[in-house]
Amino acid sequence: MKRRRFIANTLRTAALLGAVPRVVVGKSQEGDRPMSLTEPEAETLSKWCDLLAPGAARAGVARFVDQNISGSFSESMLLLRYLDSDAMLPFYRGGIAGIEQESQHRFAMGFARLDMQQSGEIVAAAAQSKTEAWTTPDPNFFYFISRSDAVDMVYGTEAGFAQLDIPYLAHIAPPKPW
Amino acid sequence: MTDHTYDAVDVVVAGSGIAGSTMAAELAEAGFSVLVLEAGPERKLSEMVSSQIWSRRLRWAGPEVIEAGDLVGAANFAMGWGTGGAGLHWYANWYRLHPDDFRVNTLHGKSLDWPVTYDDLRPWYDHAQAYFGVSGDAKADQWSPQSDPYPMPSLPLSRQSQALKKGFDAVGLSLVSNSLAVNSQSYDGRAGCILDGWCDAGCPIGALANPLVLQWPKAFKAGAKLRHHAYVSKITTDPSGKRATGVEYLDEQGARHFQPAAIVIPACHTIWNARLLLLSASDHHPDGLGNGSGLLGRHFTSHALTTIHGLFPDETEPYRGVTGANTLCLEGYDDKTPAKGAFGSRAWLAAQATKPNDLLGLALARPELYGAGLDDYMRRAARHYGNMTVLCEETSIPENRIELDSQKDRFGLPAAKVTNTLPKDNSARSDLAKAEGLKIFKAAGVSEPWAGQRAPMHMMGGTIMGGDPATSVTNSFGQTHDVENLFVAGASLFPTPGAVNPTATLAALVFRTAKHISDNRAALLR
Repeated sequence: MKRRRFIANTLRTAALLGAVPRVVVGKSQEGDRPMSLTEPEAETLSKWCDLLAPGAARAGVARFVDQNISGSFSESMLLLRYLDSDAMLPFYRGGIAGIEQESQHRFAMGFARLDMQQSGEIVAAAAQSKTEAWTTPDPNFFYFISRSDAVDMVYGTEAGFAQLDIPYLAHIAPPKPW
Repeated sequence: MTDHTYDAVDVVVAGSGIAGSTMAAELAEAGFSVLVLEAGPERKLSEMVSSQIWSRRLRWAGPEVIEAGDLVGAANFAMGWGTGGAGLHWYANWYRLHPDDFRVNTLHGKSLDWPVTYDDLRPWYDHAQAYFGVSGDAKADQWSPQSDPYPMPSLPLSRQSQALKKGFDAVGLSLVSNSLAVNSQSYDGRAGCILDGWCDAGCPIGALANPLVLQWPKAFKAGAKLRHHAYVSKITTDPSGKRATGVEYLDEQGARHFQPAAIVIPACHTIWNARLLLLSASDHHPDGLGNGSGLLGRHFTSHALTTIHGLFPDETEPYRGVTGANTLCLEGYDDKTPAKGAFGSRAWLAAQATKPNDLLGLALARPELYGAGLDDYMRRAARHYGNMTVLCEETSIPENRIELDSQKDRFGLPAAKVTNTLPKDNSARSDLAKAEGLKIFKAAGVSEPWAGQRAPMHMMGGTIMGGDPATSVTNSFGQTHDVENLFVAGASLFPTPGAVNPTATLAALVFRTAKHISDNRAALLR
């Protein structure tokens, strides 16, 4: 599958990374221990997604991803199911490893220790397909999917609609956000 | 070898979506014993949770599709999983192909002709729109083919449409109310639409015609049976190879079952119809069942879709309305040669209800934004966003196809591979439409409209119908030329795609085929 088709060829770095508030991610925000990801992997994913959509970590994005790659594929609520049916866990695990690889390559330290400017540089590189060490899974596609996960958590729930100040208008309200 | 064999039925149908459920209801009401095999789980209206996140469970979860070419992608998004198939999350845009769409080859020397004309199908379109319940404004939409009056008036013009209409007016094009299988008022015991914009997640009140509220109640009442978690893997034939004897299917545990039947009808999504026939190769049919022409799997088509987006000065309430489209522009549709080097019809579907997330949501309209930039955009888009989609025709060529791949799926069967590349003159047509769309948005007062990347929408062909067994897989009733009691139902039958959503045509063909089967009952059940 040509994964980049969903992303404009001429990506613009329009985000103002410097204005994104840093969110410290820990067990207290992410809940129970992850089922498939390791705790360091979950923390990397949380921090990454929070850069993409501020608030994603607090909303539980790592747990959202972890739970939905741990159950049956048919019950998965991840957008990835539209695009890449099999091997969800390897995809996320590979992307997280890619973030760490890029972080080590650029700054000689783990992603968790990067400051806002440094971590933002890696996000921008993935968004623009300009990573230097991270090659698989396609960084641009991982950006696309993980950004969607972050958007789900921040804007796609009843709380997210309320934050945007638009009515939810449910026929059947979700029994829980996800 | 199979683990279980069942009592024979008159008709076995593979797939419980719109094609399969409509066929089941029609044939059961005509007195046939009908069994439908559905690959996915049982679905209930209570599962139609208003959430883009939850709605993903309604999407395809069967074997993966391998895709190649420049107009493929997100096949799983378009297909359903469970009772009702994609009919649980379809958008209910309801259009007829135009008379010229049925004879493209005759008129333009490319693509194909259908073995039927618009006039042949018109009574079936009329029947289908009454059956499904269609709202619209035929008087205003003078560019759609002639039809019976729509059963219901159109839905009200949304604020998005009002904003967009200024642009269409300014460029001299007519934007009219859309025709939809969505109730604008109570119809046939089903409620009217409340315009909450959750069609994409399923409509539990049944205002949008879906199989759980429309076909399956009729089918069950007439005695049709439905078996879930039954993934049909092969159509079997008798020793002569001239008659189908039933189907083999796999259950959740991978156990093999055999269901004998006098008539076999694949009514799956386009990809799976073709793949099932290809998987059913035998000594008499070494290249697949119904492949005497060598064209099984070929002439796959799609619609080249481009989305136009913008933020309007006034509030547009983008979260409200219907997911399909509130308004429509078919003016100019019949001009298939709008410029030198450009070929194909185009249709504008405008003002689609848009929620914040998911593949067609606000956020993914601007995939390059993240962080604070994304948040700024989301807060404005949530109230000021507008969009429209253009569907452009793809010429039917044999190189675009569905085939079996050397890779195996989770059941150990050859995976389905779809190759689709948009012909050059169709690509030029799509580019013209994109420019037209941006012009309309600017004329509507949007200072910086933008276009999404071209993408595929709808999948058709692969088991095309035709009058000549040498150049088609089935006749006009979907009956395979090679096996008399094997029929195909669904958009895989379409020789050409036009530039409009396929379900109205799919439904018209199902009703026509069901009548043909019923009229030939004795010969087919022998």
